[in-house]
Amino acid sequence: MKGTGRLQELYERYRDRVEFLHVYIREAHPKDGWSFAGPVMRHLIARYAPTAAIGMPDPTTLEERREAAGSCQLSAGHELPTVVDDLDDAVSSAYAALPTRLYLVDVEGRIAYAGGPGPYGFKPDELGRAIEALIPDPG
Amino acid sequence: MPSLAAHVRYRNQIMAWQHEHEPSAPRVGDVAPDFDLSSSRGDRRTRLSAFRGKRPVALVFGSYT
Repeated sequence: MKGTGRLQELYERYRDRVEFLHVYIREAHPKDGWSFAGPVMRHLIARYAPTAAIGMPDPTTLEERREAAGSCQLSAGHELPTVVDDLDDAVSSAYAALPTRLYLVDVEGRIAYAGGPGPYGFKPDELGRAIEALIPDPG
Repeated sequence: MPSLAAHVRYRNQIMAWQHEHEPSAPRVGDVAPDFDLSSSRGDRRTRLSAFRGKRPVALVFGSYT
Protein backbone atom coordinates (compact mmCIF):
# COMPACT_ATOMS: atom_id res chain seq x y z
CA MET A 1 0.00 0.00 0.00
CA LYS A 2 1.54 3.29 -1.08
CA GLY A 3 1.75 6.31 1.19
CA THR A 4 2.34 4.34 4.38
CA GLY A 5 5.36 6.49 5.29
CA ARG A 6 3.20 9.59 5.28
CA LEU A 7 0.52 7.77 7.28
CA GLN A 8 3.10 6.78 9.86
CA GLU A 9 4.04 10.46 10.18
CA LEU A 10 0.42 11.41 10.72
CA TYR A 11 0.04 8.61 13.24
CA GLU A 12 3.05 9.75 15.24
CA ARG A 13 1.90 13.35 15.16
CA TYR A 14 -1.75 12.86 16.10
CA ARG A 15 -1.96 9.51 17.87
CA ASP A 16 -2.50 11.22 21.24
CA ARG A 17 -5.65 12.89 19.99
CA VAL A 18 -6.90 10.73 17.12
CA GLU A 19 -7.49 7.00 17.02
CA PHE A 20 -5.92 5.43 13.92
CA LEU A 21 -7.29 2.17 12.57
CA HIS A 22 -5.91 0.31 9.59
CA VAL A 23 -8.72 -1.86 8.26
CA TYR A 24 -7.12 -4.70 6.39
CA ILE A 25 -9.22 -5.68 3.39
CA ARG A 26 -9.11 -7.92 0.34
CA GLU A 27 -5.80 -8.01 -1.53
CA ALA A 28 -5.76 -5.41 -4.26
CA HIS A 29 -3.27 -7.12 -6.52
CA PRO A 30 -3.22 -10.79 -5.59
CA LYS A 31 -0.97 -13.22 -7.41
CA ASP A 32 -4.04 -14.98 -8.72
CA GLY A 33 -5.63 -11.74 -9.84
CA TRP A 34 -4.36 -8.36 -10.98
CA SER A 35 -0.62 -7.93 -10.96
CA PHE A 36 1.56 -5.90 -13.26
CA ALA A 37 4.82 -7.44 -12.22
CA GLY A 38 6.58 -9.28 -15.02
CA PRO A 39 9.99 -10.94 -14.54
CA VAL A 40 12.01 -7.76 -15.13
CA MET A 41 9.74 -5.69 -12.92
CA ARG A 42 9.93 -8.32 -10.19
CA HIS A 43 13.72 -8.19 -10.36
CA LEU A 44 13.77 -4.40 -10.11
CA ILE A 45 11.31 -4.40 -7.25
CA ALA A 46 13.24 -7.09 -5.40
CA ARG A 47 16.41 -5.07 -5.82
CA TYR A 48 15.21 -1.55 -5.15
CA ALA A 49 12.05 -1.99 -3.12
CA PRO A 50 12.30 -5.34 -1.37
CA THR A 51 9.44 -4.55 0.94
CA ALA A 52 7.03 -3.92 -1.92
CA ALA A 53 4.41 -6.58 -2.09
CA ILE A 54 4.26 -8.74 -5.17
CA GLY A 55 2.67 -12.09 -5.56
CA MET A 56 0.60 -12.28 -2.42
CA PRO A 57 -2.12 -14.86 -3.00
CA ASP A 58 -5.63 -13.72 -2.10
CA PRO A 59 -6.40 -15.15 1.36
CA THR A 60 -9.23 -17.66 1.43
CA THR A 61 -9.67 -17.82 5.21
CA LEU A 62 -9.84 -15.18 7.92
CA GLU A 63 -6.72 -16.68 9.46
CA GLU A 64 -4.80 -16.22 6.20
CA ARG A 65 -6.01 -12.67 5.95
CA ARG A 66 -4.87 -12.00 9.51
CA GLU A 67 -1.43 -13.39 8.66
CA ALA A 68 -1.27 -11.16 5.59
CA ALA A 69 -2.26 -8.18 7.75
CA GLY A 70 0.54 -8.99 10.18
CA SER A 71 3.04 -9.24 7.31
CA CYS A 72 1.80 -5.95 5.97
CA GLN A 73 2.48 -4.17 9.24
CA LEU A 74 6.01 -5.54 9.35
CA SER A 75 6.75 -4.94 5.69
CA ALA A 76 5.28 -1.47 5.39
CA GLY A 77 6.90 -0.37 8.62
CA HIS A 78 3.86 1.36 10.01
CA GLU A 79 2.60 0.93 13.54
CA LEU A 80 -1.07 1.66 13.00
CA PRO A 81 -3.35 -0.64 14.99
CA THR A 82 -4.79 -3.08 12.46
CA VAL A 83 -8.16 -4.78 12.34
CA VAL A 84 -9.12 -7.28 9.68
CA ASP A 85 -12.29 -7.19 7.60
CA ASP A 86 -14.18 -10.47 7.50
CA LEU A 87 -14.08 -12.56 4.34
CA ASP A 88 -17.53 -11.30 3.35
CA ASP A 89 -15.85 -7.86 2.88
CA ALA A 90 -18.83 -6.30 4.65
CA VAL A 91 -16.94 -3.32 6.02
CA SER A 92 -14.96 -2.54 2.88
CA SER A 93 -18.25 -2.77 0.97
CA ALA A 94 -20.01 -0.39 3.37
CA TYR A 95 -17.20 2.11 2.85
CA ALA A 96 -16.62 1.30 -0.85
CA ALA A 97 -13.02 0.99 0.21
CA LEU A 98 -11.43 -1.42 -2.27
CA PRO A 99 -8.53 -1.23 -3.07
CA THR A 100 -7.64 1.61 -0.65
CA ARG A 101 -9.46 4.54 0.92
CA LEU A 102 -9.12 7.06 3.76
CA TYR A 103 -11.82 8.41 6.05
CA LEU A 104 -11.91 10.57 9.14
CA VAL A 105 -14.73 10.06 11.64
CA ASP A 106 -15.42 12.88 14.09
CA VAL A 107 -16.12 12.50 17.77
CA GLU A 108 -19.87 12.38 17.06
CA GLY A 109 -19.36 9.35 14.83
CA ARG A 110 -19.94 11.25 11.60
CA ILE A 111 -17.76 11.36 8.51
CA ALA A 112 -15.54 14.44 8.63
CA TYR A 113 -13.44 13.50 5.62
CA ALA A 114 -14.09 11.00 2.86
CA GLY A 115 -11.16 10.35 0.56
CA GLY A 116 -11.70 9.15 -2.97
CA PRO A 117 -11.32 5.49 -3.94
CA GLY A 118 -7.74 4.34 -4.36
CA PRO A 119 -5.28 4.25 -5.81
CA TYR A 120 -5.82 7.72 -7.32
CA GLY A 121 -7.95 9.08 -4.49
CA PHE A 122 -5.61 7.84 -1.75
CA LYS A 123 -4.16 11.10 -0.40
CA PRO A 124 -2.69 11.00 3.12
CA ASP A 125 -1.93 14.73 2.91
CA GLU A 126 -5.64 15.44 2.53
CA LEU A 127 -6.33 13.32 5.58
CA GLY A 128 -3.69 15.29 7.46
CA ARG A 129 -5.36 18.57 6.56
CA ALA A 130 -8.74 17.17 7.62
CA ILE A 131 -7.32 16.14 10.98
CA GLU A 132 -5.76 19.56 11.36
CA ALA A 133 -9.10 21.22 10.61
CA LEU A 134 -10.89 18.99 13.10
CA ILE A 135 -8.30 19.25 15.84
CA PRO A 136 -6.00 22.23 15.50
CA ASP A 137 -2.44 21.34 16.40
CA PRO A 138 -1.55 23.12 19.65
CA GLY A 139 2.00 23.54 18.59
CA MET B 1 2.18 -15.09 -13.53
CA PRO B 2 -1.32 -14.14 -14.71
CA SER B 3 -1.86 -13.38 -18.33
CA LEU B 4 -2.68 -9.94 -19.67
CA ALA B 5 -6.25 -11.13 -20.10
CA ALA B 6 -6.33 -12.04 -16.39
CA HIS B 7 -5.03 -8.57 -15.49
CA VAL B 8 -7.70 -6.89 -17.52
CA ARG B 9 -10.40 -9.18 -16.15
CA TYR B 10 -9.37 -8.47 -12.56
CA ARG B 11 -9.07 -4.73 -13.12
CA ASN B 12 -12.53 -4.74 -14.65
CA GLN B 13 -13.85 -6.64 -11.62
CA ILE B 14 -12.42 -4.00 -9.29
CA MET B 15 -13.87 -1.19 -11.37
CA ALA B 16 -17.26 -2.91 -11.47
CA TRP B 17 -17.06 -3.40 -7.71
CA GLN B 18 -16.28 0.28 -7.18
CA HIS B 19 -19.07 1.28 -9.52
CA GLU B 20 -21.50 -0.89 -7.55
CA HIS B 21 -20.51 0.31 -4.09
CA GLU B 22 -19.57 3.94 -4.67
CA PRO B 23 -23.16 5.27 -4.57
CA SER B 24 -23.59 3.98 -1.00
CA ALA B 25 -20.18 5.15 0.26
CA PRO B 26 -20.60 7.41 3.30
CA ARG B 27 -20.18 11.12 2.64
CA VAL B 28 -19.14 13.99 4.85
CA GLY B 29 -21.78 14.48 7.52
CA ASP B 30 -23.15 10.92 7.30
CA VAL B 31 -23.05 8.63 10.32
CA ALA B 32 -20.05 6.35 9.81
CA PRO B 33 -21.18 2.73 9.32
CA ASP B 34 -20.33 0.87 12.50
CA PHE B 35 -18.20 -2.26 12.55
CA ASP B 36 -16.78 -4.69 15.07
CA LEU B 37 -13.64 -6.40 13.77
CA SER B 38 -10.84 -8.53 15.17
CA SER B 39 -7.20 -7.49 15.35
CA SER B 40 -4.60 -9.00 13.04
CA ARG B 41 -3.57 -11.33 15.87
CA GLY B 42 -7.17 -12.27 16.48
CA ASP B 43 -6.77 -11.53 20.18
CA ARG B 44 -9.11 -8.57 20.57
CA ARG B 45 -12.00 -6.83 18.86
CA THR B 46 -12.49 -3.16 18.04
CA ARG B 47 -15.87 -1.48 17.60
CA LEU B 48 -15.85 1.83 15.77
CA SER B 49 -18.73 3.25 17.82
CA ALA B 50 -16.76 2.66 21.02
CA PHE B 51 -14.81 5.85 20.20
CA ARG B 52 -17.95 7.96 19.84
CA GLY B 53 -17.92 10.81 22.33
CA LYS B 54 -14.25 10.17 23.03
CA ARG B 55 -12.03 10.91 20.05
CA PRO B 56 -12.00 11.08 16.26
CA VAL B 57 -10.97 8.01 14.26
CA ALA B 58 -8.84 7.96 11.11
CA LEU B 59 -9.73 4.93 9.02
CA VAL B 60 -7.10 3.58 6.63
CA PHE B 61 -8.44 0.90 4.32
CA GLY B 62 -5.92 -1.15 2.42
CA SER B 63 -4.10 -4.43 2.00
CA TYR B 64 -0.59 -5.77 1.64
CA THR B 65 -0.69 -5.24 -2.09
